Amino acid sequence: MGEAEDKLPGRRSFLRGVAGGVAGGVVAGGAAGYALHGPQQDPALAADTASLDGRLPAVPFHGKHQPGILLQQPQTAVVSFDATAGNRAELTDLFQTITSRARFLTAGGTPPPVGIDGPPSDSGILGPTVVPDGLTVTFGVGPTLFDDRYGLASQLPASLTPMRSFPNDNLDPAQTGGDLILQFSAGNTDAVLHALRDIAKHTRGGMQINWRIDGFRGPARPAGTVPRNMLGFMDGILNPPLSEANDLLWVQPGAAGEPAWTAGGSYLVVRLIRMFVEFWDRVDVYEQQQMFGRDRATGFPLDADSLYALPDYAADPTGAVIPLNAHMRLANPRTPQTASSRIMRRAWNYDRGIDQVGDLDMGLIFTCYQQDIQRQFEAVQTRLINEPLVDYISPFGGGYFLALPGVRDASDWYGRGLLT
Amino acid sequence: MRRTPFLTGALLAATALLTACGGSAAPNTISFNNASCGGTWKLAKPGWHTFDLYNGNDVGGEIDLIDPRTGGVYAEVDQFGPGTTQTMSLDVGSGRYAFRCLFDDTDPMTGSTVTVPGHVKGFAATVPVTFNDLVAPEKEYQAYVEAGLQKLVGQTETLDGDVQRGNLAQARSDWLPAHLEYETLGAAYDAFGSFDDEIDGRADALGVTNPQWTGFYRLEYGLWHGQSASELTPYANKLAADVRALLATWPTMEIPLIDIGLRTHEILENALEFQLTGHDDYGSGTTLATTLANIQGTRELLSLLHPLLVTRYPGLPAVYTWLDRLQALLEAEHLPNGTWVSVSQLPAAARQDIDAACGQALEELAPIASIAEPRNT
Repeated sequence: MGEAEDKLPGRRSFLRGVAGGVAGGVVAGGAAGYALHGPQQDPALAADTASLDGRLPAVPFHGKHQPGILLQQPQTAVVSFDATAGNRAELTDLFQTITSRARFLTAGGTPPPVGIDGPPSDSGILGPTVVPDGLTVTFGVGPTLFDDRYGLASQLPASLTPMRSFPNDNLDPAQTGGDLILQFSAGNTDAVLHALRDIAKHTRGGMQINWRIDGFRGPARPAGTVPRNMLGFMDGILNPPLSEANDLLWVQPGAAGEPAWTAGGSYLVVRLIRMFVEFWDRVDVYEQQQMFGRDRATGFPLDADSLYALPDYAADPTGAVIPLNAHMRLANPRTPQTASSRIMRRAWNYDRGIDQVGDLDMGLIFTCYQQDIQRQFEAVQTRLINEPLVDYISPFGGGYFLALPGVRDASDWYGRGLLT
Repeated sequence: MRRTPFLTGALLAATALLTACGGSAAPNTISFNNASCGGTWKLAKPGWHTFDLYNGNDVGGEIDLIDPRTGGVYAEVDQFGPGTTQTMSLDVGSGRYAFRCLFDDTDPMTGSTVTVPGHVKGFAATVPVTFNDLVAPEKEYQAYVEAGLQKLVGQTETLDGDVQRGNLAQARSDWLPAHLEYETLGAAYDAFGSFDDEIDGRADALGVTNPQWTGFYRLEYGLWHGQSASELTPYANKLAADVRALLATWPTMEIPLIDIGLRTHEILENALEFQLTGHDDYGSGTTLATTLANIQGTRELLSLLHPLLVTRYPGLPAVYTWLDRLQALLEAEHLPNGTWVSVSQLPAAARQDIDAACGQALEELAPIASIAEPRNT
């Protein structure tokens, strides 16, 4: 009980230099088991069953890797920032401020009262006590951070280039790239927006929002399956097992010229993909299924009778059942030669108003994590060039980032290895 | 799941340490009425405490937890309705504590003093700014505005003369300093009443073709949209006349004392909303210059409040750091030929730097409204 009195939440603010207090004592055990989940047990589903009064339990903030990489909460905001910090010391202060705010927000607690000394320290949109609601704050850096402003050029991660524009892409510069990316995910939208507002409030001088998109995942329907995208198909059914994480997911410093500070990190590719849902809804379901390679209702591969069955392309060499240009067959041909290009997919749906002809602007926030962007995402996307699905989708933004190594403990901070 | 017990625990821990003083409230609650300001209560040790306070009086008011030696306020509950319960939370350190009751239409009362021994640091008590403290700053500000209006009378008469003579090039050049002068008077606009709409109103609600839209922005619109001298003359006349009338009326106008602190962030809040967005650019592309004038107006308020703030606001140096940075970024957009880069022409990175500095300056300015709010003691 003493912890409640002794440990005030941190009030650290950009360039105020107020050392954050520690709210760690109140963290619930939460979803520490995510690392044990295989691809067939969606962590979000597991978390959902653990929710009480509509809120998810706290997700431990500290660890070797950022928890939001593997754990996929149902509501999200993906926010790209450009750094406006004036120099390296200010950038360091920015990263430390983000760390201390994220540490408090993910643990929850009661924001400190301010007496007669100012406006309230918290927006209050979660009520007087900040509930964790399964919040994860995933922080990444983009290639432009490594220009001449902060003296970081020699620390550029080997695979971190500006996002490539693929044939059929329609990238809008105003919604592409960024020095920094923060993804806020939680059980409910209010917790996502609370975290975004809190961190923005404490870092106004250090970074400016560049572009932003909000996303959601519906509950899996039928229960026990996988949430669907706005085309009606389940999305992200088979991901690589975590037993291969060191080969596919986590950056391995030393290999391929990766700087040492990247240990524990993972490359994040964000692709904002408009889906022309009106057009799609005018397409015969069998044609839809041929484009994906799966049954729309069940999610089963067209050649199998269970959701997680591996398609047997060897038995279907001409594409009689699953066409050779079906999305899932091109993305992952399941050959020894393509095994090293597999990625950890994490997609949310977005929905944001209408376009110029009154059609709904909705689609997918595709994100994926990997060890090497060129070997993995770009290889996959290259195979997908001119897939039949391109008529119904249009990638318009996103970027390449390195999701920073996890914050190890109460004295660690995001990017410590990069900035010290 | 320990997060629910976290809060409950804090409340239990805090209330368990308190000795309630009867009244009609629940046990462990500190009661206030017209005869007793908190009665007898105790604090066993430092740490974070949440008090339950019950207003047993038949009027509303304010309850402060103060340091009785200095009058400094640790925490306050304002707008405390009769018959209601409120909580007050703070980190209690070593020191002296007493409740002070400021019920409406009732003389202030201070309750018994509770001493927490030792050397533990808790929340600092801020000595309230009083109405009396703000009388001199307000007087100085009145004089500042008067001097500004006097200057503005000459500037708007010059502008009026330009337009009447049909020298619109000169009018465009004389419009800016006049408008900027007005934009340095931001804490007085409310006091100006309808004069502010006449002199510096936006077209928003009226539309740009409505003859009721008058003032600086109306002239800007016409001067930068090819309107003729004869079309603009009535507006130039009216602007000069309105400014003269305002100056004549000014001695009878009053700025509420609370505005002095409040406007320290509100002036730049408006600049962020209307100038840095480009909303108030009616053609001259000078909203960055306007923002600089707004900073000058903000600095005037800060300088008047400085003696009060310097002992009360540890964030004051950061206010100046960020105002300086914002000012330097804006001045960099003043081109050698005397023209200004408009917001829409700013490169993305420059615009982000300006918006970031303005946002941080506003965060640093925001507490001043509370700190410089005049309070009864």
